[in-house]
Amino acid sequence: MLTDALAKAIAELEEQQVADLVKERLDKGIPPLEIVNSLQQGMAEAGNRFESGEYFLGELIMCGEIMQDSMVILEPLLSGSNAEYKGNVVMGTVKGDIHDLGKNIVVMLLKGSGYNVIDLGVDVSKEKFIAAIKESNAPLVGMSVLLTGCQESMKETIEAIRAAGLNTKVLIGGNYIDDVVRDYVGADYSAQAATDGVKIADEIFGA
Amino acid sequence: MNETEKLYQKKLERYMTAMDCGKPDVVPVTFGIGEWVVKYTGTTLQEIYYDLDKSNNIVNEMLKGLDFDIFKGGPCLWWPPMFDAMGSKLYKFPGMGVDENSTFQFNEQEYMKADDYDEFIAGPTEWLVNHFLPNISTELENPGSYRSTVALIKGAAAFAISGGVMAAAWEKWTVEHGVVGQTTGFSKAPFDTLGDALRGMKGVLLDLRRRPEKVIAACAAITPHNINCGVAGSGADTRFPCFAPLHRGAYPFLNPKQWDNFYWPSLKANIEGLWAKGKRMLFYAEGDWTPYLEKIAELPDKSIIFQIDTTDPKKAKEILGGRFCLQGGVPTTLLTYGTPEKVKEHVKRTIDELAGDGGFILDAGGVVMGDAKQENVIAMIEAAREYGVY
Repeated sequence: MLTDALAKAIAELEEQQVADLVKERLDKGIPPLEIVNSLQQGMAEAGNRFESGEYFLGELIMCGEIMQDSMVILEPLLSGSNAEYKGNVVMGTVKGDIHDLGKNIVVMLLKGSGYNVIDLGVDVSKEKFIAAIKESNAPLVGMSVLLTGCQESMKETIEAIRAAGLNTKVLIGGNYIDDVVRDYVGADYSAQAATDGVKIADEIFGA
Repeated sequence: MNETEKLYQKKLERYMTAMDCGKPDVVPVTFGIGEWVVKYTGTTLQEIYYDLDKSNNIVNEMLKGLDFDIFKGGPCLWWPPMFDAMGSKLYKFPGMGVDENSTFQFNEQEYMKADDYDEFIAGPTEWLVNHFLPNISTELENPGSYRSTVALIKGAAAFAISGGVMAAAWEKWTVEHGVVGQTTGFSKAPFDTLGDALRGMKGVLLDLRRRPEKVIAACAAITPHNINCGVAGSGADTRFPCFAPLHRGAYPFLNPKQWDNFYWPSLKANIEGLWAKGKRMLFYAEGDWTPYLEKIAELPDKSIIFQIDTTDPKKAKEILGGRFCLQGGVPTTLLTYGTPEKVKEHVKRTIDELAGDGGFILDAGGVVMGDAKQENVIAMIEAAREYGVY
């Protein structure tokens, strides 16, 4: 059960109430990081409600939107505080596919849970994935695909990552993704629901 | 009547009987030639999309010797030049925006803004012409200008040209191979028109909380247009259903209350409006619709063919069976990752489970894309003939 009023407000998707509480707390001099923590707690609760079947995608997206609006105010104030990320995650929709709804929800949930997400967008080439993994040293890369016809390019991307000698864990997600596809493309994990991404990241990062 | 005409009549009879929930001589089976065909013809997807003659000839060659009932058409849903002529931002086509062998894709954006609701609701068609067309097409940015007028003429001409070419191709396939087309005309759920084309997924989901009354009013304003589209687009034909690809009503986009309040009332009114004119809908339920089956069962008997993609087939049969024809049963992933043996086993099981007392058409669950294997698709229709005799 959530006790913090701000965490509760975002979990209940009360947009105006969240905006008011963020402003009120900043005015009172409460450290921005503490406010972000409350928001993250509330988002985690929304994720739980999604898993239990109480919330649907519409609620998750709304929650992410409220979080994003709050972060526009909070993020500039965070620099200098000891905000620490749980770790780096590279995300992208694979080459040939321009669908990003599912990817964006997972990015939003990961960010909300305290991960630094390097979002490469859509139609991402294997070279771009590899460059981003090398640069960020990310232990986890998430690949999204909606079109079954683009699952082949997911396979090629994973092969290229392995050929480059990177042992980053690969998580795949998207409609029509299951264990058969995971094994075919050579991924480490497959996610069936939006909230699986955070669970798997927490497992990998020991968070 | 020649042999092909007799064959056509036999297949038509099967389709009509199944649509009316009856039991034909065999389980009718569909076949469509998807983008997978390019792997076997030495062509790129771009050629197939842009060169209609080439694509129609491939279809013509392939139809020879195949035994199935209902034809779902060739590999290209659209002829891209009509969009190219207007500088359309809506789609990316093979070789134009994506790789020459990547499938065409919809570029979803908020083409309609939250502030546009009132003007849209007051006059949807007028708003589309004055605002939507300029928003979605670089060549139509200045309505009434020389560029815009020329582009509009070119786009409309291209649409008419492709319509003529495709009508001639369908006539040839029907006359020479005796196949029956699946649908005439096109419709959509009003909420999908709003969510897919106008506001985008994120936009419409946020609207449900921020301006719910506008969403309901917009769906109500769209409904008569979508009814008309299903009837007028088919030249008032009522033998065949109109095709309606359904999107945002799938689980788990909307919570049950949102589904009941925002998705269903206008879709139901759309279906009832079509049915009042004798027009059925191919309720192409992409994804999983299991939680909503009870609501769908409120529709007038036989007013839809319900497509089973990832909906629980047993529940669909239990709740809708007998009152509505069911179609589907073969997962699209099986056509990619399976083998002909596995496909045949699955078809046998599906027929045992779903075909029993009639009112069933065997089909792939969803759209069969470029990754499917030809031998699996052929195995599906062969198995239907082997196990589908009533």
